[in-house]
Amino acid sequence: MAFSKTGLSDSRAASGLAEYRGELQAWLDAKRAELAPRHDPPWTLDERVAQMQRVKSILFDAGWMQLGWPERVGGRGGSPMLRTELGAALAARDLADPGLFSLIEVLAPTLIDFARPELAAEVVPRLLSGTELWCQGFSEPDSGSDLASLRCRAVPDGGDARAASAWVIDGQKVWTSLAQYSDRCVLLTRTGPLDSRHRGITAFFVDMDAPGITVRPLEMINGEREFAEVFFDGVVVPADRMLGELNGGWAVAMSILPYERSSCFWQKVAFLYQRLGRLVELAPSDDRAAEVVGNAYLQLHALRARSRATQHRLAETGTLGAETSIDKVLVATAEQATYDAVRRLLSGMVEMDDSAAAEMWRSEYLYSRAATIYGGTAEVQRNIIARRLLGLGSDE
Amino acid sequence: MIDADERALMEKSVHAAIADARSADEHADVDAVLARLGWREMLADQPGDAIAVVFSALGATNAMATALDDVLLSALGWEPSAGLAVLLPRFAGWEPPGRIEAGAVRAQGLATARAGAGDVLVMCGAPSEPWSVAMPAASAESRPLRGIDSEAGLRSVRVQGSAQGAARVDPEAWSAALALGRRAVAHQIAGASRAMLDLACAHAKERVQFGRPIARFQAVRHRLAEALVAVEALDAALAAARETPGPETAALAKAVAGRTARAVTAHCQQVLAGIGFTAEHPFHRFLKRTFVLEGLFGSADEIAVDVGRRLLATRRVPTLIEL
Repeated sequence: MAFSKTGLSDSRAASGLAEYRGELQAWLDAKRAELAPRHDPPWTLDERVAQMQRVKSILFDAGWMQLGWPERVGGRGGSPMLRTELGAALAARDLADPGLFSLIEVLAPTLIDFARPELAAEVVPRLLSGTELWCQGFSEPDSGSDLASLRCRAVPDGGDARAASAWVIDGQKVWTSLAQYSDRCVLLTRTGPLDSRHRGITAFFVDMDAPGITVRPLEMINGEREFAEVFFDGVVVPADRMLGELNGGWAVAMSILPYERSSCFWQKVAFLYQRLGRLVELAPSDDRAAEVVGNAYLQLHALRARSRATQHRLAETGTLGAETSIDKVLVATAEQATYDAVRRLLSGMVEMDDSAAAEMWRSEYLYSRAATIYGGTAEVQRNIIARRLLGLGSDE
Repeated sequence: MIDADERALMEKSVHAAIADARSADEHADVDAVLARLGWREMLADQPGDAIAVVFSALGATNAMATALDDVLLSALGWEPSAGLAVLLPRFAGWEPPGRIEAGAVRAQGLATARAGAGDVLVMCGAPSEPWSVAMPAASAESRPLRGIDSEAGLRSVRVQGSAQGAARVDPEAWSAALALGRRAVAHQIAGASRAMLDLACAHAKERVQFGRPIARFQAVRHRLAEALVAVEALDAALAAARETPGPETAALAKAVAGRTARAVTAHCQQVLAGIGFTAEHPFHRFLKRTFVLEGLFGSADEIAVDVGRRLLATRRVPTLIEL
């Protein structure tokens, strides 16, 4: 592959990005047969996970997966935008589920920024190559939007936090995506007093085969089992698996936001264009359909424009803040609008059809209802926008 | 292209110049203010930035000028001049407003105040095969439009006369003029939308009910948050139209502008409640202005249907902008 390291850190490098995109598309075209899913949709979750890991391993062997990741974890360097382009290209071709694939973006950076360098160098390549899957243990039954209230407890083995060689974890997580497939978990635990909120949280990197972990997949509204409850019963974790500082877990959790709100969203946008493309192939050609499709396209375009600006801001300034709550509201609204358009134009497809194609649309339609719930509900985003962006002060 | 900081600075100074002139004299000649600031030179030099800066400021100050004529004229290859207006398409439409039959021009459309005295450039025919003809003031029958916003300065114009001098126009030039016109109006809507949101936020922080500012109530906060989401979406669509210029990105920016104006007017009017219902508060001027601007070069509804028809005809969904 000719393309290697480029310092794509500002808009002057856009031509480099275009060149990369061209090479990537050509390579994906050449490998079309090898990369394609083994059969037409609908795909079960098992099949989607297997497809993603297979695609990752092919991309890793060819060197694509390592682009945009630092060399100290086995990457090939370059702008993180290269990763974003790769995920978007896969989503646009329906080669990997963007919701699952982009989990890399919320997991690998955590290890790179907060794990011991030797640990990060050992495990990140396994995630990138599809050798391993990881999950994120954040939410709890009583801590959803209010994450800082989490209670899953970690206590130092022997009682002394500074001298302990291991920590013992007891508690429960929920909404843990892909927990039943995962080899590791980035886990947030309570290490301070119960009322210490965000000041008393510590992150750990936990092996999912450790004794005392029980995973119970949850059946979702669409019949799939992507999320799970995870129970921790006296689980022992070596102290050198702590991510970041003791009681510094909130910083670990917050550090994920820029990745989640930039790269993950751009991949989702690419996927939604792909799905709207499928819809216009199937929709009737009347004026009502034109209006519905046109309006969905308007929303996708505004979202894409916003997300593009966000990626460039991240590349130029290295940081993102509360303004990404705007992106979050736009992506959720556009996703639901896209599937509302599907439901309106493919009459009966979501509700009554038993064809294989209908199963995919039905499953995705139902899943899209979660877009305003996960990753901070639409209401929480609006609270953040009101307080942080509009300066309306506290609501208390 | 200048960078975002420079653009914001320029917009601020244009905004201040217009606001100063109007606070000294409510009926100040905004075109003269723009001329002093070097509008036409900047339009010739950096059309995208000039349009962004000037029309955002016009929207934010609720001022009306005839700068739209300059935008269209320069895109169509004419030297902008205070004595020449451009006949705009009918309300909510974007077809050339005139037709040529048996050597005569007949046209009906909208125009800026410039059409009250000056000559009128009339675009005729189908968008794929457009003609233009500069008609003398004497052939134009023009009256000021009151409508919902009599201060918008728009006129209803009917033109009838000899088609002598009509010339073919490159369809690309017409398409480019339409795109720049759409972007100009969309920037004006963006400026007005942000102004309405500022008014509503200021009111929410000052107005006390049940012993606290209404900005503390979540129902109020969420409406204002929604309005900001809409305003930011429009800014993004306008940035995309500037960075990836073309008829598609301009049409989408104009359609997003229409959607944004609707969301912002609805949310802000509700938050402003009683005071926003009076003519004593400036809100109503912005609301009415966006109603009028929504109809220039196609409303959101009409553009959405037009774009949707194209997606269905080609069975493709182009992404238009890349990272």
